[in-house]
Amino acid sequence: MSIKKLSFFLIVVFLFSLLSCDSKPPQSKNRIVVGISSDVKTFNPLFAFSVDEGAIVELLYLSLVDFRWDEEKGELKSLPMLARKFEWAGDSSFITFFLRDDIFWTDSVRITPDDVVFSLDVYSDPLVQSRLYGTFKSLHTNDENHIDIEKTIEVKSSSEFNIHFAEDALPNLYELGIPIIPKHVFDSVGKEELVTSGLNFNPVSSGPFKLKKWDKNQTITLEANEQSFLYDPENVSELVFKIVPDYTSRILQIKKGDIDLVELVKTEDIEDLRGYDDLQIVPVVGREYDYVGWNNIDPNEFSSGGKIEPHSLFGSPNVRKALTHAINRNEILDEYLLGLGEIAVAPVSPIFKKAFDESIIGYEYDIVKAKRLLEDEGWADSNNDGILDKDGNDFSFTLHYPAGNPLREFAATIMKNNLKAVGIEMDMEVLELGTFIDNLFAKKLDAWMAAWYIPIPLELKPYWYSDLESTPLNFVSYQNSTIDKILDNLETKIPLQQRINFYKKFQELIHRDEPVTFLYWIPNISVYNRKIKNINVSPLGTVTHCWEWSVKNN
Amino acid sequence: MNMNKEVIKALCKRFLSSVITLLLLISLLFILVRLSPGDPAQKYISAELSPELREKITESFNLNEPVLNQYSSFLINAIKGDLGVSYDYKLPVLTVVWEYLSFTIIFALVSILIQLTVSLYLSVFIVKRNSRFLDNSISNISLIIYSTPAFVLGVFLIYVFSVQLNLFPLSGLKSLDYDSFSAVAKLIDQIHHIILPVITLSAAGVALFYKYLKENLGNVYNQTFVQQMRANGFSESYILKRHVIPNAIRPLISIAGIELGILMGGALLTEVIFGLPGMGRLTIDSILSRDYPLVIGCALAAGALMVFANFLADLVKMLIDKRMTKGILG
Repeated sequence: MSIKKLSFFLIVVFLFSLLSCDSKPPQSKNRIVVGISSDVKTFNPLFAFSVDEGAIVELLYLSLVDFRWDEEKGELKSLPMLARKFEWAGDSSFITFFLRDDIFWTDSVRITPDDVVFSLDVYSDPLVQSRLYGTFKSLHTNDENHIDIEKTIEVKSSSEFNIHFAEDALPNLYELGIPIIPKHVFDSVGKEELVTSGLNFNPVSSGPFKLKKWDKNQTITLEANEQSFLYDPENVSELVFKIVPDYTSRILQIKKGDIDLVELVKTEDIEDLRGYDDLQIVPVVGREYDYVGWNNIDPNEFSSGGKIEPHSLFGSPNVRKALTHAINRNEILDEYLLGLGEIAVAPVSPIFKKAFDESIIGYEYDIVKAKRLLEDEGWADSNNDGILDKDGNDFSFTLHYPAGNPLREFAATIMKNNLKAVGIEMDMEVLELGTFIDNLFAKKLDAWMAAWYIPIPLELKPYWYSDLESTPLNFVSYQNSTIDKILDNLETKIPLQQRINFYKKFQELIHRDEPVTFLYWIPNISVYNRKIKNINVSPLGTVTHCWEWSVKNN
Repeated sequence: MNMNKEVIKALCKRFLSSVITLLLLISLLFILVRLSPGDPAQKYISAELSPELREKITESFNLNEPVLNQYSSFLINAIKGDLGVSYDYKLPVLTVVWEYLSFTIIFALVSILIQLTVSLYLSVFIVKRNSRFLDNSISNISLIIYSTPAFVLGVFLIYVFSVQLNLFPLSGLKSLDYDSFSAVAKLIDQIHHIILPVITLSAAGVALFYKYLKENLGNVYNQTFVQQMRANGFSESYILKRHVIPNAIRPLISIAGIELGILMGGALLTEVIFGLPGMGRLTIDSILSRDYPLVIGCALAAGALMVFANFLADLVKMLIDKRMTKGILG
């Protein structure tokens, strides 16, 4: 046999050996693979800014309190976690925590109140620039928003301590739900160096999982922490976050069984995925809504010296109501979202059952009403060109939306046709996301379509407060002094019923002014393999409490 | 002796001009990224984050400083070899770039080797066979492959070989149980994962090089010196290896250098489709998140590799034909 023939034979044998490699590796018994779109950049909860980073560090580092979503009541419920119990003082001026005896870091050092003190100090330190810097509004802080440890924490024993709230502040347990970090590990690192420390990639953690392996840009493998009081040998033993940047590839992999869970699945894939018996589809509605922002103020006047003047097209609540009447939101909901979403009428999500005002009826699709409202505001087609005009100006504008969202492209096309029917000319312009956001902050756009991902617990002030300096997220520049008073009151100690009444009044006023057109609550769709048992997909997310999952192997 | 001195002098000149080119490149980029819309601190604005955090972060990025001050300190640090810290990764830019670059360099080198080898073998085979039917068929197929975008080819390969035939993995560089494999199994596993991406990345290059090589080989074969050598009794294989191929391949080396430079800059679509950690993804992510230091780091790496790849191509040309040394270096 010549050398050529021999090498050809060897290549063929090699190729066959490759092809005979089973592409599905023998999976460990209790392994679950979660598909995510991008890698994390840290395992330190201080700097876990992205959603995936947040979800992963919460599995590595426990908090004093565990928050779960109470579906029945539509609110968060607080349960002990690192603390075996907590007790409120009669006047709610402080709270006492009692730490568990069986809590350890993965290097076997016991978790003590010193770690809690250290964590609160570091999270609020301006030199550290943690993701929670400036958010400890209910605690004693100095001018630099740094928590005053002496006034705030009173350590009573190796497992008991009090946390005191600031005198006039609304006591807030959620602010204390921070993942606790180990003092003995991070103490030696300078505050300013923490962000770049190599320790951020080698976590000494306390959670139900610990980092087994980080294959950058490929996989993050967590294994059950047998030292943890949450450990159960019957439950999932290995959790792999597989980084698959391409959405289509993530869908193919869940269908093929290479991935067991994916989030943020698009509605256009639902029909196809329903054909796979081993896959469960779970839509969660109420965390995110799409809206059309109508700039309430004149962008030119604002940019040339910060003057606040009503927008020539969208300055009037009646015009904005007319626009909402003119848009057929149900058509978008049924055709694109396959009925999985829900029409939005105000920014309070229906998941907050106590705060949500069911009595508010949304502005239905009604061209006649839309035309009448516009006519009342002086808009008429005086020159018979098919476009409404007023004082010589046509009702014509450009709707902007960020690139890469087919739902918005579909919705914009429907809107263009809907508005044309009432005599409004709308152009569409797609912007790169960074440019789009830049324009929103500069208040340069007249009209746009975007979404808000709502925080839990309910937070309204950042979006709807009139002070445009302190509320950069109020992109539409909506201003209403009654709303401001309500939002201020919601930050004070008031009885629950009064709080609920304020929330309902807020929704009523927002509905009356219609500062934006609330489109629909978008379904956040998760798809998982039915072999995962005991999974609870809630508004808090999918992988939270995943240490309680088990795997049913065939 | 004089020749050596000239060569060293020319090399120094070339090195210096390359450094100046790269400095100009990063200076231009520094200005462009700051002129473009977007703010790196924007992602720190949300209802869950405090406005005070954004202020602190903007301050720490030195974005409040006048642009000229930012530029001068950037340039001084860049000359010292410090490109700053990535806003997103919170790591020195060069560390982040190296993590991605190491994969990209290997991926690009494998791809260029495959492109050259396959196209060379294919063109020699076709020229030697002298079959019009084969020639037309391969030419048409290579034209189709060349005009197919990488993302179409990649998705097609995944659909056929991963989804339908289940022969190759869908994405990634290694299996989840990679660590438990033997050394040989590890190697096979990595090759198994990389085959489809390499085909996606190399297919267009193979088609392009094939077209050039086939024409060049045909031209050289028809030259009189080849016929004279045949008449003098030299074997066909000797003529091909020692005379035809070196003559035919020479004009291609410059193009291969440029192709290698482009490949080393990253192959975004292939990297995204197959979930590979390359420079293409890093560059786009850094642009989208307005990570200014990292954008400049990526561009500098791509620029430096392009310069290096071209230099490499020139060296190969000089090795093939020493008479070209002066012309190339001059």
